Amino acid sequence: MSENLIELKNVRKEFVTAKHYPGFKGAVKSLFSKEKIRKTAVDNVSFAIKEGEMVGYIGSNGAGKSTTIKMMSGILTPTSGSCLVNGLEPYKERKKNAKNIGVVFGQRTQLWWDLPLGETYTVLKEIYEVSDQDFTERMAFFQEVLNLQDFMHSTVRTLSLGQRMRADLAAALLHNPKVLYLDEPTIGLDVVVKDRIRQAIREINQKYNTTVILTTHDLNDIEELCQRIIIIDAGKKIYDAKLNQLIKDYGDSCSISFEWKQRPNALQMEKLQMEKTQMEKTQMESQQNLGGKLEMHINESNVQVCFSKKEFTIAEVFAKIMGLIDVKDVQIKETELTDIVKRIYQGNKGNQV
Amino acid sequence: MIKKVARYLSLYRIFVIQYVKTMMQSKVDFFIGLGGFLISQAAGLAFLYLVFEQIPSMREWNLEQMLFIYGFAQVPRGLDHLLTDNIWMVGWQMVIKGTFDKYILRPMNIFFQIVCEKVQFDALGELLVGFALVGWAVSKGTVEITPIRVLFFAVSVIAGAVIYTSVKLILASFAFWLKDSSAIMTTAYEVADFAKYPIEIYAKPIQAVLMTILPFAFVAYIPSTYFLIDANIWRTIGAECAVALVIWIVAYKLFQKGLTIYESAGN
Repeated sequence: MSENLIELKNVRKEFVTAKHYPGFKGAVKSLFSKEKIRKTAVDNVSFAIKEGEMVGYIGSNGAGKSTTIKMMSGILTPTSGSCLVNGLEPYKERKKNAKNIGVVFGQRTQLWWDLPLGETYTVLKEIYEVSDQDFTERMAFFQEVLNLQDFMHSTVRTLSLGQRMRADLAAALLHNPKVLYLDEPTIGLDVVVKDRIRQAIREINQKYNTTVILTTHDLNDIEELCQRIIIIDAGKKIYDAKLNQLIKDYGDSCSISFEWKQRPNALQMEKLQMEKTQMEKTQMESQQNLGGKLEMHINESNVQVCFSKKEFTIAEVFAKIMGLIDVKDVQIKETELTDIVKRIYQGNKGNQV
Repeated sequence: MIKKVARYLSLYRIFVIQYVKTMMQSKVDFFIGLGGFLISQAAGLAFLYLVFEQIPSMREWNLEQMLFIYGFAQVPRGLDHLLTDNIWMVGWQMVIKGTFDKYILRPMNIFFQIVCEKVQFDALGELLVGFALVGWAVSKGTVEITPIRVLFFAVSVIAGAVIYTSVKLILASFAFWLKDSSAIMTTAYEVADFAKYPIEIYAKPIQAVLMTILPFAFVAYIPSTYFLIDANIWRTIGAECAVALVIWIVAYKLFQKGLTIYESAGN
C-alpha cells in the first residue's frame, strides 16, 4: 500500500434535481414537468493526503467541501472517479471504513440528544468494540484536553454549543480513527472554546498521529492547525500547497497608510497622482510583473498605498511618499491569510470570465 | 455468524435500555400514548359490535369468527409496530433532512440501527387487544387448540409481522427517490386496516390489491381460515410465509438500492 492514507482521483459528484418554477403556479407546473437540472457539486477533484497530515480544506459556501467530506466518509457515492481511504472505497465498504474514520459535523451532533453525555460514550464503546482498557485511557485523555468532566452527567440537549462540540469531538475519536473529518468544527464558538478545540486537535494529532481534514470559514483554524491547504471553488480544486508556500506565493502584498499632519494642497495632490503613475510605469516595465495590484487611495486623513513587495520595497515606498507630503504617522499592514484566500478566489473568478 | 448475532443482540439490548431511559423522562407521554391506543382499539371494537348487532353473520362468518380474525390481525401488526416503528422516520424526515447520515457513519447494519432506535410501547395496546380477542374467540369454541396449531399461530404471527414491516420498508425507501414518502406510507397504513375483516366483504378491485401490491390479506384473513375452517395449510400459512419471504427480499433490495442514491442534505 502506498503511504497515502487518502487518495482522490478525478472525483466528481453530480446531483440531479427536478426543475422547480417559482410561485404556486410554478409548483403545479413542476409537478408535471420532467425537466431535470444537473448540478455538479464536485468537479474532477484529485488529491492525496499522507498519514498524520493536517489539511485545511476551504472554499466558500456551496463550493463542495461538505460533499467531498461526505464522499470520503461513505455517505455519498461519487458519480465518477475513485476515492480511497486507508485502501477502502468508503461507500462500498461502509462498515469497515466507518471504523477507520471519525466525523464531526459542526452543525449536527451524533450524541444521544436525550441522554446524559456519559451514556453516549458507553454506547459508542459497544458500537465500536473499544476495549475497557482503551476506553478508560482515552476517556482520561479527553477529559484532560477537552475538559468534559463538568458536564459529563448533563443531558446532551442542555449542553451549550461549545460543550457539545467538545463532546462531539471526543465521541468521534473514541475508537481512535485513522482519519478525522472536521466539518466546520469551530462554527459559532467563542474565542476561548475555539482555542481549546484547536489545542485538543493538535494534541490528538501528536499523540495518535491522526490524519485531520478540516473545513472551516475561520482561517485562524487553518493557520494554527494545518500544514497544508486545499482550496476548492465551484467544485473545482483551485489551490493545493503547503501553508508556508502559500504565504510565499501570495503573502507579498503590503499596505502602508500615511497619516498626514494637514491635508495636502492641490499641488501636493497632483504630485501624489504623478507618483502613482510613475510607480505604475515601473511596475509595467518590471520583469517580475506578477499582476500584483498597485493602489493609492487618498482619504480624509491619510493616503493609503497598496503594493507588492516583489516589485517595491517598503523603504522605496516610504521614501517616495515622505518626500511629497508632511507625514504624522505610518501604519504598515502585511497580508493576512484571509486576504490571500480572497485573492485566490478572485483570481479564479477572473480566469473563468 | 453466531458471534455476529450475539453482538447484534447485545447491541439491541443496549439500545433498548437507552431508549427506555429516554422514555422515562417523559412518563406522561408514555401513558397518554398507551391510553390513546387502548381507546382507539376500544372504538374499533365498538364499531364491530354495532355492525354485528345488525348483521349477526356476514358471508358465512359469525361474530366469534369475525372477532378471531380481527384479533388475529392485531397481533402481527402490534409486533411490527412495537419493533420497527422507527422506519416511519425514514420516509418522513430522515432522508429529506439528512439526519440519515448518522447511520451510515457507524459500523453497524443500517436497517438494524433504524429499528433499534425506538421501541413503540404504544403497540402493547394492540397486542393486548389482539390476544384478548383471540383468547375470547377460542374460549367460545371457534378454534380447537392443539400444540401444532399454537406453533403455526406463532409462525403466522411472525410472517405477518414481516409482511407489515416489509411493506413499510418499501414505502419508506421511496423517500430516497421522492425525499418524503410519508403520504404514501399513511395511505398504505390505512389500507392495512382492511386486514382486520374477511376479505370477501370488499369489492373485487380492493381484494386484488390486498392479495398483490399491498398483500395484507396474507397477514390475518388467509391464515385464519386454517384455524377457523381447516383450510389447507400450504395454501394459507404456507402462502403467507412465501409472501413474507418474497416481499422482505424485495423490500431489503430496494432499501439497499436507495442507500446508493441517498443524497444527504446541504449544511
